[in-house]
Amino acid sequence: MHAYTNLFGLINIPSYGLMIATGVIVANIIAMIIIKKSKYDLNDFIIMEGYCLFGAFVGAKLLYLIVSFKDIQWDKIFDFNYFNNLMLAGFVFYGGLIGGLVFVFLGGKIHKINTQEYIRKFIFLIPLIHGFGRIGCHMAGCCYGRPYHGAFAIVFPENSYALPGVKLFPIQITEAILLFTIAFLMIYLGEKKNYYYTVEFYFIVYGIVRFILEFARYDEIRGIYMGLSTSQWISLGLIIIAVGMIIKKKRQK
Amino acid sequence: MGVASLVLGILSIVIGLFTTGVFGWLGAIFAIIGIVLGAVGRKNPEKQGIATAGLVCSIIGLILCLILYIACAACVGGAAALM
Repeated sequence: MHAYTNLFGLINIPSYGLMIATGVIVANIIAMIIIKKSKYDLNDFIIMEGYCLFGAFVGAKLLYLIVSFKDIQWDKIFDFNYFNNLMLAGFVFYGGLIGGLVFVFLGGKIHKINTQEYIRKFIFLIPLIHGFGRIGCHMAGCCYGRPYHGAFAIVFPENSYALPGVKLFPIQITEAILLFTIAFLMIYLGEKKNYYYTVEFYFIVYGIVRFILEFARYDEIRGIYMGLSTSQWISLGLIIIAVGMIIKKKRQK
Repeated sequence: MGVASLVLGILSIVIGLFTTGVFGWLGAIFAIIGIVLGAVGRKNPEKQGIATAGLVCSIIGLILCLILYIACAACVGGAAALM
């Protein structure tokens, strides 16, 4: 829709990056408010977040390389321009989620921080930032939905990643709304109800949401294995892991 | 830690401002490492000032690099550009 946003008539900046940066800022403002009200250490939180961002970058890029392994010209990998283009090209969200969590645990071990406590308290940041990212997808026209003629169908203009001039299912906005709902539910449960299973809640609810929404996606470049996309397989994996975590915790009690 | 954070933060701002996203991935990595080092440095009361400066520069650098670099973090876009 608006791949570039004109700021104050001065500069055109990519809308996707703008939305992600906005998401990161909003999420951190909410996190700061929670930290001020509670016993958490701001520096420890920043360290954890730094590790999470770094892990997310590595994981998202790694899964992208795995998914598009066949499309990459590996003989040109030492060509600087090609390598730089490869670094500039896509990311896969689920790779980022897994990489981020792995690096948070690593950071916790290195800096002797109680990782679990921070993850359970602040995992709502992920769906919150992701929701802003999906609005960015809508603006850039990527991650688009199937042709659809029902209510709220959207038509993308020329020069967007989506099929131009065709009525499509508004999957990016649908997912953004669901992600914001998940994030605010998690904040409510964590802050008001002192709910313990926030990570499991996120894995299960987002896993189900993503699994279903994947059927409505129409962008071509996505790995399909045995009829399901890579993201659907990872969704199933996350749901199983979350159920396993709940059972383990209940048995410990 | 604080000095390293400040250096990385300034580098990431320079990359963010002057490479229009071409080396944004490098700037983002510098900024993230700068943020971690800045937060670690802030735990030392004697070096808190410079570490805070490093942290702030790194955050600004990260935001700049994120805005100009990140294409689509949530989808497998961009593969077509490589083919």
